[in-house]
Amino acid sequence: MNRVVVTGIGVVSPIGSTREEFWSGLVEARSGIGPITRIPTERLNIRIAAEVRDFDPSQHFDSKRLGIMDRFSQFAVVAARAAVKDAQLNITEELALSTATIIGNGAGGMNTLDDAFWRIYGQNNTRSHPLTIPRLMANAPSSLISMDLGLKGPTFTIASACASGTHAIGQAFQMVRTGQARVALAGGAEACITVGAMKAWEALRVMSADTCRPFSRTRSGLVLGEGAAIFVLEPRESAVSRGAPIYGELKGFGMSADAGDITALDPDGAARAMSAALTDAKVNPDDIDYVNAHGTGTGLNDKGETTALHKAFGDSAEHLAVSSSKAVLGHSLGAAGALEFAATALALHHQTIPPTANFEEPDPDCDLDYVPNTARNAPLELAMSSSFAFGGLNAVLVLGRA
Amino acid sequence: MSDQQAAAAKPAAIIDDVRSIIAKSLNISADQLTPETYLDELGAESLDVIEIVFALEEKFDITIPLKADEATRLTTADKSGSGQDMPFSTVGDVAEIVQKLIAAKTAKAAQ
Repeated sequence: MNRVVVTGIGVVSPIGSTREEFWSGLVEARSGIGPITRIPTERLNIRIAAEVRDFDPSQHFDSKRLGIMDRFSQFAVVAARAAVKDAQLNITEELALSTATIIGNGAGGMNTLDDAFWRIYGQNNTRSHPLTIPRLMANAPSSLISMDLGLKGPTFTIASACASGTHAIGQAFQMVRTGQARVALAGGAEACITVGAMKAWEALRVMSADTCRPFSRTRSGLVLGEGAAIFVLEPRESAVSRGAPIYGELKGFGMSADAGDITALDPDGAARAMSAALTDAKVNPDDIDYVNAHGTGTGLNDKGETTALHKAFGDSAEHLAVSSSKAVLGHSLGAAGALEFAATALALHHQTIPPTANFEEPDPDCDLDYVPNTARNAPLELAMSSSFAFGGLNAVLVLGRA
Repeated sequence: MSDQQAAAAKPAAIIDDVRSIIAKSLNISADQLTPETYLDELGAESLDVIEIVFALEEKFDITIPLKADEATRLTTADKSGSGQDMPFSTVGDVAEIVQKLIAAKTAKAAQ
């Protein structure tokens, strides 16, 4: 079994699309949430999101390639290129044959779908653009990364809603650990802030109209986000021998299903995934220093997740630092787990816990240390990143210091 | 106001519609529903409540300000002017909120 390390991090996020900007935004609690700018908002009740605002696709792709790329694929490929560059990885033809590309996505090419259906139903057009299907298919980001970088190993998309990115990284971890792939590019990508998608989210009545305040008594719901985070995973041995930067070592991966409610988090299911990740990592609950929580800012999540942490960690929960990055990044669904894994890896790398931003008041039902508003320097050996998806699908990663 | 709207705004008609919407959503008989019946006693979970709210909004062309978090034993911010949170727990609560929102809409249309 290989020990598996993270050697490259690429992000496209609402707080910036370099690793440095991303990290400083998290540490400074500089929220990417703001008024929606990219779509008409007059028919929306919820008019805020964490949009990627500084992204010019023409700087990254020629017009022919852009023709087959929905926004979620653009994010994915830009993040993948950045990850490979960050890892200083030279992908030879031989290495490309055994490099896996596994990307999580929740909603598919929603911008393309929304535009295409608007043409048919809204404008009574008789035909759709011929590239509609290749743009919107859920595997497009994985395929376009493989095409862009010439990667020819196992390549597919994982869809588990808000846990997609975490499942994708976990799957890639297992493949590198067992030698099924020599290197893996893994992460998540999402771009689903469209009028149609926003109306559907509004109807669930879980959206905040002002901002996201995870674990705070004054929470008002979740805020949608978008973006991508992609990682280079490889065996520790090869990373050390080629002198690559190492952000952290993947130690464990745990998964579970609630088999219960379609939307509400089940503390038992979430706790089982956490415990499975700890078992896989061969560590005890009190070995974990920091948890990057799912922390969506809905009452059901925040209270349920707190209960789950108590179940999985027992007495160790009392001295656990827990923070949610969603007050800063919004909830980017299939990308969320990947962006939060980046936050977790960088926390270990910088020995700093990014705070839970927008934290106003403690909630009696949420009694853990949520690292409110201010980053904290702390010796961090092991950290956990959790995702709990609609559909009751849970995925948890344990990451160790490099 | 059209005759149809006038008829729909009559309290008795509203309560009948509210009962039938709740009954249909929860797949139970409307006879089981009294104003004092709690939605959660009928087995309504969070998603059932937001489906009921959606059906009421569609039926009466109103907007019911309600968060899924608070569903089943919950309150909804009263936008009709009193500034109070209104309970949204029993069949009677639901009918009252719907009546208030319809009255507010009718008053606004008359202005």
